[in-house]
Amino acid sequence: MKIKRRVGTWLLSAMALILVAFMLLPVVYMLLTSFKSGTEITQNPLGLPANLDFGNYINALSKMNYLRSVLNSIGITLSVTVLVSFIGALAAYPLARRTNRLARALVLLMALGLSTPNFVTITPIYVIFRDIGLLDTYTGLILAFTALNLPLAVFFYTSFIRSIPIELEEAARLDNCSDFRIFWHVIRPLLGPATATLSLFVMLMVWNDFTYPLLLLTDESKFTVMISVYRFVGNHNLSPNDLFPAAVLGSLPLLILFIFFQRRIVSGVTAGAVK
Amino acid sequence: MRTLQRYRIFLFTLPAILVIGAFFVYPILLSLRLSFTDFTGVGIANDVGWKNYERIFTRSRYLDALTTTVVFTIMVVVVQTALGLFFAALLHRLPAVRNLCRAALFTPAMMSFVIVGYVWQFIYSPFNGGLNSALAAIGLESLQHNWIGDPNTALIAVAFAHIWMFTGYTTAIFLAGYAAIPSDLEEASRLEGASSWQRFRHIEVPLLAPSFTINIMLSTIGTLKTFELPFIMTRGGPDGATRTLSLHIIDSLFGKYKFGFASALSIIMLILVVLVAYVQNRYLRSRENIT
Repeated sequence: MKIKRRVGTWLLSAMALILVAFMLLPVVYMLLTSFKSGTEITQNPLGLPANLDFGNYINALSKMNYLRSVLNSIGITLSVTVLVSFIGALAAYPLARRTNRLARALVLLMALGLSTPNFVTITPIYVIFRDIGLLDTYTGLILAFTALNLPLAVFFYTSFIRSIPIELEEAARLDNCSDFRIFWHVIRPLLGPATATLSLFVMLMVWNDFTYPLLLLTDESKFTVMISVYRFVGNHNLSPNDLFPAAVLGSLPLLILFIFFQRRIVSGVTAGAVK
Repeated sequence: MRTLQRYRIFLFTLPAILVIGAFFVYPILLSLRLSFTDFTGVGIANDVGWKNYERIFTRSRYLDALTTTVVFTIMVVVVQTALGLFFAALLHRLPAVRNLCRAALFTPAMMSFVIVGYVWQFIYSPFNGGLNSALAAIGLESLQHNWIGDPNTALIAVAFAHIWMFTGYTTAIFLAGYAAIPSDLEEASRLEGASSWQRFRHIEVPLLAPSFTINIMLSTIGTLKTFELPFIMTRGGPDGATRTLSLHIIDSLFGKYKFGFASALSIIMLILVVLVAYVQNRYLRSRENIT
């Protein structure tokens, strides 16, 4: 009986691994094809590349402004993370500690932000940015991304701060500390884990987002990675020799990060969704 | 004085209120106002009454876009939830490979729509594309097809790419739901001789109700506004088969500079999302309470 069950588990595990490997085929296909020449793709579309030829990569790197756009994406991500976590945590503190009508109204306001699709606000944001000169600036894009991530951050921090025992604050309150000093010296130092998870979320979103930078940026030197990939590959006459190396270069930084932090990222993103 | 003191702490929310006000509340109101005008991005916006909305509901291309969006959403939500549940149920029974498989399935969600769109566009390509080559390799040349060039298969093909991307996400949320099921309940049913299927059907599925709510709502809201994949893979073609609402919004905005009309479309989208989210939320939450 026990042996029979163990064999069953073995078979089931093998089946699961095969199915999961099947799901990963497009990623493997992307990696393999990125090393193939044009004729090789025609003659051998699915097999291993004949040799590890980095010619496609050298060509893509020289033409797609890669390093510059990676730096842009990193810079924008960091700025958004700092802004979102500061503004978000600050707003979350009263929402976590008070339950009056004002707090409930503010929670509702954040829920409005969370559920509004960005296509509803993109036209007015474009018009506003154009009128006040924020179009095609880092500042504009950073602000737009900050707004997009803020509602989630507020909910995230609110539930996190609720789990911090209020007794910690009471000692400081007896010493007549102001609310802000309590927030800064008692609450803020405890927010590390929440901020770490949130920044993973922000990073994923900012690095991969396409719509905002597509509509808000025109200057090539400010492009994020995904816009560089998009401009390099184009829409007509897809060339696999351009497409696949660009796709690998575009996803590589996050995929490497994912290999190292997969547990954290999966549970963080899931927790962010569940909150 | 005391009341003032009590509310002073809400000053902390001021920056957030400013951001939400400037990027959500004001734009929604502006959108609503622009939707009754013929604003072209420059110059004066003339009031045109309900003309923009009339146009949306009388021209078949916009009604078709609405249908396309809804059909696409239903396909994605149903298949993705089913697949995610399948993988979660499987991996829940296999602790040894659970973590590895969960991470592997999640990998596509780490990639951008841009890249997923391009890679799948080439997989579907009639010229040495991966799918047709694979069919040829296993002797099924007869099934070869111009997947995203044929209006009959294009929407399904794009939906499949979307599902591929987020199945791991759905699986991870279901697995988190599984982790919350009390293990003694499962132990008890196992001792009473319930088969794996019986446990799934009568214990796991009802207890996973909150995960169903999250998954269905997240994927519905995410898919109703789908833009990137059809934009990259098909540009709405062939023959408008994959032209979704959001594609029309971007096209009216930056292709035709009809800001007023684009605003009307986006208001329709907002109403659609709010309505669907409200109905789903009510229904799915009531399901949670039964158990």
